[in-house]
Amino acid sequence: MVKIEIDEDACVGCGSCVDDCPNNVYEMDEEKNKTKVVNEDDCMACLSCHEICPAEAMEHKDIHVAKRLYIDRKVSGILKKII
Amino acid sequence: MEYQIEREEKEVLGDFKPELIPDACGGGIDDYEEALHVLMKFVGSMSSALEQVSGRGANAIVYQAGKRMGHEAGKMVEKTDDLEKAMQELSEILGVEFFFDMWKPADQTEYTVENGNETIVKLIFRDCVVRQTLRRTGLPQKGPLCYLLYGYTVGAVEEVMGIRGKLDIDHVGPNACLKTLTIKWGGK
Ligand code: SF4
Ligand code: SF4
Repeated sequence: MVKIEIDEDACVGCGSCVDDCPNNVYEMDEEKNKTKVVNEDDCMACLSCHEICPAEAMEHKDIHVAKRLYIDRKVSGILKKII
Repeated sequence: MEYQIEREEKEVLGDFKPELIPDACGGGIDDYEEALHVLMKFVGSMSSALEQVSGRGANAIVYQAGKRMGHEAGKMVEKTDDLEKAMQELSEILGVEFFFDMWKPADQTEYTVENGNETIVKLIFRDCVVRQTLRRTGLPQKGPLCYLLYGYTVGAVEEVMGIRGKLDIDHVGPNACLKTLTIKWGGK
């Protein structure tokens, strides 16, 4: 079962995730001006919201993480050393 | 003296007879990785060039190529008119590189929806070599290369179930893509 966590300190309230999610998983909390998860059960873990969020404010837990063979191991090795 | 291309890697030398099947393919994981990346770049640029030359026609060409491959692959498994069994066989045909599941919204009870002489099922593709290739080449999803997988899936399902099928894209994402498979009963 997918579990979504929002880092409210990071969220800038742009609403991009609300607009972009095809399954209406998010809604804007108008009072806080932050996104909130309202329909977690319909999340299909496409991670389009991750791609659009400017603040990297969400985390999806317990999902199938797709293979990313397009990332060069040499490059990730170098990045790991730097970051 | 003859001119020699200089390389960092040592060339692998060995004996070989035509009737022998080598017990190892040679090369380390790094060689395979490099080959995969080269292949991804080749296929990606071929797809974008095809689109440049043929416009939207590129989708149809690639779709047909995929469909033919799908029909060929479908011949290798048992025929069935049971959708669940067909999906199981499809997952064997597509393998782990196209890891998919059936998907439904939480308020829907069954995976399949009947609509007259059609059965509709949503498929979520979690792993996809096409997606990886597009991301490696910096190309958008939903382009001609995606049609290779659509064609392949439709071709395989048509072959296994002896029906006509159609696949539509609902959504493409970096980690999964949702597609709707429509099966038209009543034969081809
Ligand atoms: S992963 Fe996809 S379905 Fe899930 S919340 Fe993000 S955009 Fe919506
Ligand atoms: S896209 Fe990110 S920053 Fe914008 S509302 Fe959603 S979680 Fe907040």
